[in-house]
Amino acid sequence: MSDFIQFENVSRQYGSVLAVNDVSLGIGKGEFFSLLGPSGCGKTTLLRMLAGFERPDSGRVLLDGVDITELPPERRKVNTIFQNYALFPHLSVRRNIAFGPTVAKRPRREVDEEVDKMLALIQMRDHADKRVDQISGGQKQRVAIARALINKPAVLLLDEPLAALDLKLRQRMLIELDMVHDQVGITFVFVTHDQGEAMSLADRVAVMNHGRIEQLGRPVEIYEAPQTSFVAAFIGDSNFFEGVVAEVTDVEHVLLRIDGFDDLRAFNDKGLHEGDRVFLSVRPEKIRISREQPLGGPDHNTTRAVVDDVIYLGTHTRFWLRAGEYRIAVEQQHNRFVLDEQPIRWKDEVWLQWHVDDGFMLERYAESDEALMAIPPQRVGESNAGLEDGGRG
Amino acid sequence: MAETRGLLERRHEPWITLPSFLWLVVLFTIPAAIVFAIAFKPSDPFGGIGAGWTLHTLASLGDPNYPAILWRTVWLSVVTTVACLVLATPTAYYMARVAQRWRPLLVLAIIVPFWTSFLVRIFAWKVVLHPEGPLKHALAALHLVPADGSLLYHSGAVLLVLVYTELPFAILPLYAAAEKFDFRLLEAARDLGAGPFRAFWIVFLPGIRRGLLTATLVTLIPALGSYVVPDLVGGPTSEMLGNKIAQRTFSDRNLPHASALSALLALAVLVPSVLAITLSRRGDRSAQVKP
Amino acid sequence: MKRSVTPFVITAAVLAFFYLPIVVLVVNSFNASRFGGEWNGFTLQWYRKLLASPDIWHALGNTFTIAVLATVGSTVLGTTAAFALDRYRSRLQDAHYLLVYAPLVIPEILLGISLLLFFVALGVELSYVTIVLAHVTFCVSYVAMVVLGRLQDFDWSLVEAAQDLGASPWVAARDVVLPLLAPGIAAGALLAFTLSVDDFVITFFTAGPGTTTLPLRIYSMIKHGSPPLINALSTLLLALTTTTVWLSQRLLKEAR
Ligand SMILES: Nc1ncnc2c1ncn2[C@@H]1O[C@H](COP(=O)(O)OP(=O)(O)O)[C@@H](O)[C@H]1O
Ligand SMILES: [Mg+2]
Repeated sequence: MSDFIQFENVSRQYGSVLAVNDVSLGIGKGEFFSLLGPSGCGKTTLLRMLAGFERPDSGRVLLDGVDITELPPERRKVNTIFQNYALFPHLSVRRNIAFGPTVAKRPRREVDEEVDKMLALIQMRDHADKRVDQISGGQKQRVAIARALINKPAVLLLDEPLAALDLKLRQRMLIELDMVHDQVGITFVFVTHDQGEAMSLADRVAVMNHGRIEQLGRPVEIYEAPQTSFVAAFIGDSNFFEGVVAEVTDVEHVLLRIDGFDDLRAFNDKGLHEGDRVFLSVRPEKIRISREQPLGGPDHNTTRAVVDDVIYLGTHTRFWLRAGEYRIAVEQQHNRFVLDEQPIRWKDEVWLQWHVDDGFMLERYAESDEALMAIPPQRVGESNAGLEDGGRG
Repeated sequence: MAETRGLLERRHEPWITLPSFLWLVVLFTIPAAIVFAIAFKPSDPFGGIGAGWTLHTLASLGDPNYPAILWRTVWLSVVTTVACLVLATPTAYYMARVAQRWRPLLVLAIIVPFWTSFLVRIFAWKVVLHPEGPLKHALAALHLVPADGSLLYHSGAVLLVLVYTELPFAILPLYAAAEKFDFRLLEAARDLGAGPFRAFWIVFLPGIRRGLLTATLVTLIPALGSYVVPDLVGGPTSEMLGNKIAQRTFSDRNLPHASALSALLALAVLVPSVLAITLSRRGDRSAQVKP
Repeated sequence: MKRSVTPFVITAAVLAFFYLPIVVLVVNSFNASRFGGEWNGFTLQWYRKLLASPDIWHALGNTFTIAVLATVGSTVLGTTAAFALDRYRSRLQDAHYLLVYAPLVIPEILLGISLLLFFVALGVELSYVTIVLAHVTFCVSYVAMVVLGRLQDFDWSLVEAAQDLGASPWVAARDVVLPLLAPGIAAGALLAFTLSVDDFVITFFTAGPGTTTLPLRIYSMIKHGSPPLINALSTLLLALTTTTVWLSQRLLKEAR
């Protein structure tokens, strides 16, 4: 994909806070691109530099090959859907949508026609003369979209447009956004702190943290092959292990020495050498838990563990287990097969197994990232019998 | 540093600040400084300001007349403030507890009398308290006042009218604070065994302490500086600092003397203000102490 | 839980206290008795006398001229001050805030005397102009506080939205900021106007010998004049302000 939008070494500082730290990023034409990261990581700042509300301290912003760094917002072919929609409260729905063409001094008749078309598109013809505080949250979002799209922008920027909506509506608007993108075919840059939104909508995702891009890729890549502990813990949950490379077994795999475990093997996509220190990440749902020792083999890591905690979560059960110094999270779906088995309970000694290729070596690891997980691990020793300790019967 | 774009950027700050800033420096700060400066000037016989500098004007504040007036100004203002708080607190409490739809109406009822001119309100009391007026007749008929006594022209009248003019300014901040107060706390206190009065005292009053502080300041400060009320309903025995300032300015045309008195009044106002600010700071800090 | 009736009784007493003198005043303005001690029958003579007095009309004219000028000046200065205070955080704004706030908490008589001394020290003759300067000075703070209060609810992302849709800063100010803040600015202006019209103390100190405003006139009537005329005047003023406020409330409600 050719880079339609380019950030070149862009930085922006507020006082002592580096909101955006030397970001370089290319976004393709027509792409649905998402900036994902926790609150305060600099997503909005990056987006605002593209819209023209902020000037970078250093670096350049290019649109379609043209340097727009110094261009004021009203002269960029970029429109924004604001977090709270920023609809003008003193204007009707119709006049909100007509704002752009009116300011551009387009002929009245033409403006009216296009507004009518837009109203039809968002199915708001009956509400055209209402004030914006008389329409619902979902309708507000549609008006905001129409108000932006009527200007035929080259890029549509969306800053957490769904955050103000309740869960059901959010899911519906998610689908609508996707449909709009398919219809108009322009580039969308979508900012969110919600991994679900980013994963389900975006062609590509940039995960941001502390003003930097941690990882850039398709949603599947981000989820299945997180490159840093931040990405692994922010998007989904993960277990982390620390060790050294004991042996490079073949081109693709290494043998790791990790305290408290027998030999663990992992996929070596980083070209590591013997003696290198590594951090390994394994997602909870990639690990199988069983009472009986499973069949081993070179493709699988198998280890013993003791159940510390069993938490029933409806769609699945989460186990916390102890193996050596580690507390390991494992998730198990409730299918017939599992329900038929004798349930695994607190203090049971069990077997854990995962495929060698499901363990990923991280480029960066920070212990603090573990706090990002949906259910962060308790420290060993704090454990208790858990909510559903399985020991009822 | 780079900056946010749009209306009112960083570089516009001086342009939007300077008009009001300069205006107030020239017509508020400099005049205030002049008041203090002129207090160190001698007067001249033509009602102007003499040449040179002197401590004589300030020294003349030691005249036994002034401490008495200062003292009267302070006690009249303090009693006015206390009376306003005593009346305003239960009123604010009632307004905050009454059904939601009555509240704007009550606020309106409090404000409407004050749509009349300030002078007219004071004059109205002159009519009510007039020796031939209705109140005097009524009270004399009940033998509560002697038939030849006067309701006007003494400190009692000044106090009454001061309370009348300041009371709404005490009620409004107290009501604002009381409306934000969580009245379930009172119920909790009752539940824990406090009587209604005790609950009011140890839970409600601390809960609205910011409002109490504001109410105190907005009644005390204007009362300290009051001039029209003692001038119109008071007599020679109820003069306040404000009267003396006006008298020195207009009757005696001794501006340095008026300045010295104004400086004194400014100090009298500054003391409670600074006290209130430190008090509110300390209140905030103690509120943050963990149990 | 049973609630005490004490607060209700005190509130009722306070309201009675508030309205007693006003009722007496209004009633007496129709009372043929000169001192109002007893009811000597209904009359409109005080109103006739009042309206026939050229002094009153003259003073009224002065008051309105001064109030209009003071309102315009203080609304402009107060609004810019509020924008600056709302938009920027700096040492300059800390000092600015102090400057704007101080006149609100200082007794009027101090403002009056300090301005008088200032004008005397500069050798400026007291006149209309000095009154207007003085009124602008104390009204600026009130306007600034009212507008600042409205600005705190103002959503600046609306300005960005306007620019995002192609509006220049000037167009955004005209089409978005102004219409949305107009009620707040109007409220500030209305406050400045009423404060100016009603001001006695500061005017008293800064007025030249020839300039009489309505409050100055009322003051001298209270000191030397005829009580029933003041009753009548007060009643008229009360009626006027009440209708004005009522009308402006209605207009505001309709606008919303
Ligand atoms: N106008 C501003 N002034 C000062 N700090 C700011 C400003 N805007 C953003 N920041 C800071 O910059 C960082 C990034 O902010 P932002 O881009 O809004 O993050 P996000 O949108 O990812 O939540 C935060 O620490 C925030 O506090
Ligand atoms: Mg944001």
